[in-house]
Amino acid sequence: MNGYIAFVKKEFMENMKNYRFFILFAVFLIFGIMSAFLAKFTPEILSALAADMEMTSEPIALDAWKQFYKNISGVGFSAFIILFGSCLSNEYSKGTLVLMVTKGLSRKAVILAKYTAAAVLMTICYWIGYTAAYGYTSLLWNDTSFTNAALAAVLLWISGFLYLSILMIGCVIFRQAFTSILFTGGAAALISLLGMIEPIAEFNPFILTSKNVDLISGEAIPAEFMIPAFISVILTIWGLAAAIWLFNKKQL
Amino acid sequence: MNVLTIQNVSKSFGKQKIIDNLNLSVPEGSVFGFIGKNGAGKTTTMKMVLGLLQPDNGEIHVCNEPVCFGQTRTNQYIGYLPDVPEFYNYMTPIQYLKLCGEIIGLSSIEISKRSRELLTLVGLNGVTKQIGGFSRGMKQRLGIAQALLTEPKLLICDEPTSALDPVGRKEILDILYKISGTTTVLFSTHLLSDVERICDHAAFLNEGKTAVTGTLAEIKALHGHDSLRLEFSEDKDLQLFKKQKLIEPLLLHSQETNRELILHSCDMVSVQKSLFRVLAETGICPVKIELMEPTLESLFLEVVK
Repeated sequence: MNGYIAFVKKEFMENMKNYRFFILFAVFLIFGIMSAFLAKFTPEILSALAADMEMTSEPIALDAWKQFYKNISGVGFSAFIILFGSCLSNEYSKGTLVLMVTKGLSRKAVILAKYTAAAVLMTICYWIGYTAAYGYTSLLWNDTSFTNAALAAVLLWISGFLYLSILMIGCVIFRQAFTSILFTGGAAALISLLGMIEPIAEFNPFILTSKNVDLISGEAIPAEFMIPAFISVILTIWGLAAAIWLFNKKQL
Repeated sequence: MNVLTIQNVSKSFGKQKIIDNLNLSVPEGSVFGFIGKNGAGKTTTMKMVLGLLQPDNGEIHVCNEPVCFGQTRTNQYIGYLPDVPEFYNYMTPIQYLKLCGEIIGLSSIEISKRSRELLTLVGLNGVTKQIGGFSRGMKQRLGIAQALLTEPKLLICDEPTSALDPVGRKEILDILYKISGTTTVLFSTHLLSDVERICDHAAFLNEGKTAVTGTLAEIKALHGHDSLRLEFSEDKDLQLFKKQKLIEPLLLHSQETNRELILHSCDMVSVQKSLFRVLAETGICPVKIELMEPTLESLFLEVVK
């Protein structure tokens, strides 16, 4: 436990010192602010650029949410995976972990501390982005009554933990950041492909990212997401356990 | 009591056998020199002791507890200094030692007290710059400080002086010598002068086995022939000397260069008796007569031959 807490502190310090946290914070905040503005003003910008273009419908608040979740689940999470993909490879290549492990730091604590730091930072960035998106969307449309907006955000947040857990497995297996990122991308692609297979699609955690916005539009009800969310949490825990198991067998 | 015992340990990488049935014991309180060529398997052995590599077979005990791969219970007795220690570059020495102290489970008062003591010992007290800007020698010294933070019973140093300049080397050896009263030190090296300077025990590793082991005095006494060097002022003296009846059998184990003759023998006393009798009878006066002590170097070369 001592080792875990000490290593978590070290991870936070590292993420501050190497600007990982600031970059991600900025990315999520910008998406939070931009999504509302882009949804609101894109039609006006387009018609200013191309005068003969006719806008058929007024943008609505839902467009802003669609924009936000598309950006966060795509670019936002990718940025997270790319930046955290090197969290173990740097330690492997430099050999910094050897001194820690020979001090009695358990390998389990290393993985859990790295995951904790990434998950906490993801949570902070994500909810800051959400708050900004909520604030600007309600401001620009003068509307604060979005149904299930918070629940939609929670669902995507839960899937974020799953992707970080898959990333940990990749980081443990591969010694290079590039391959662990590729591994996570591959796993994410596989999950989305499985989402196309009809009988199991409704249990697939992929709908947490692809359909969460339907909660706001009213096309989906919360009950549809309960099983995939539960499966996502189970897979996250399983992924972490697998990462620890593999790391215990790894030669440093 | 032995702090470390290695019994019948073997380790292969692929088809290459690095360690082949190695046996070694390090007595408590000793400064133990672990000598071998580059690639002899010194680092591999140390990593197995630390549980960082899995031996193919055999057993390793630290303070009578078995070492298990991947688990680090026995590491509480060990301080480890790798050949090129790497730290988190964004930290200062104090921050790094604090991290180590917290991992071990020391209280914050203890951490700051011990950090100060150790940084003074290794000459890094008051250094506040980040480790990223450290020289190799400074990193090596910080490496010793972090290794001693646990107050280990056994300090393992992997070639601590190999990459350093003469000043840095002297500093590291002085520090190791200073702590040898309280901690057993096992250090690997291929620099024999370092071993002769601070070690009281040594083992020679060759082809994955210990070729020789024991105290330094024992090793020197058991192995390596004593030699006697003679230097003559003229060639004819040398030729005349070699023709003497008492000397002829000694020439079987000898080396000759210019006017110099080196006689090797295990029984130096009888060699000297014959030598002085011959010199007195013939009236030859050599320029120099020198009894040569066996050096670790000659022994090392003999072992790895």
